[in-house]
Amino acid sequence: MTKGDKILIIVVIFFTVISLGFIKRQALSNDGKYISIQVDGKEIKKIIFDKNIEGKTFPIETEYGYNLVEIGNEKVRVIEASCPDQIDVKQGYISKIGETIVCLPNRLVVEIKGMDIDQEIDIMNH
Amino acid sequence: MKRLNKIIFLSVLVSVGLGLSVIESSIPLPVTIPGAKLGLSNMVVLVTLVLFGFKEGLIVSGLKSIVLMLITGSLSSFIYSFSGALLSCIVMALSYKFLSKIFSLIGISILGALAHNFAQVSVASLMIKNLRIFTYLPFLMLTSLFTGYFVGLSSIYIIKNLKKSFKILIQ
Repeated sequence: MTKGDKILIIVVIFFTVISLGFIKRQALSNDGKYISIQVDGKEIKKIIFDKNIEGKTFPIETEYGYNLVEIGNEKVRVIEASCPDQIDVKQGYISKIGETIVCLPNRLVVEIKGMDIDQEIDIMNH
Repeated sequence: MKRLNKIIFLSVLVSVGLGLSVIESSIPLPVTIPGAKLGLSNMVVLVTLVLFGFKEGLIVSGLKSIVLMLITGSLSSFIYSFSGALLSCIVMALSYKFLSKIFSLIGISILGALAHNFAQVSVASLMIKNLRIFTYLPFLMLTSLFTGYFVGLSSIYIIKNLKKSFKILIQ
């Protein structure tokens, strides 16, 4: 192990940490995800995360029941529901792509979706 | 006789590399990063480069990818591994030739592992036509530091012992 090796290792670690931080920031500011609110399997509302709608609430009233959805900073939750068990309210915020809040009695699904799911890699084999 | 010795020795190296590739695919890694692997067969390429030279190293690494494709039967992984093997072999040969005063074999092997990952990610981004896969490179680079270090370390011992016991063969 020469001095050059150590320098190389340090440089690579340095570069990796910097690029990881960059990627993470990019990923956080990236609004490639949206909230999809579905009732009875049909998407009735599509909400793209934005600073302006932070803290806003959306009442969802359908023939199956009533829910109140609140948008936070890159996250979403259900704060009121007419269903008896209130599981969707207790679940709290969801923020990652693929996470869902389900209110079965009201047939409501709040899901976070990615904009370009078809471009994600399914599997890589070596 | 010399030539025959060399051919036999190179083919033994290729088969050792193949064996290592097959074995390493059954070793579970603590982290699940697709594309991250131990790169044990890189050891063979490094040893060949040092003992024989650039041309032989290229032959061994190319043959290894081709025969590995015949074993595993997956063409897509062949494209990744072949491009990676080619670039890493070239980088390692160049750095061994010109930078061997600065880097020991550990550094050279890390450079080779980095080149391997870079080629793989580039080919992958070409194939799926998406540049975002390059966000993957830092993770792979971090793993290639560890694997490259150990590959280099073991290559040093292998070369030391091979030079001792096959003095007649390798001039």
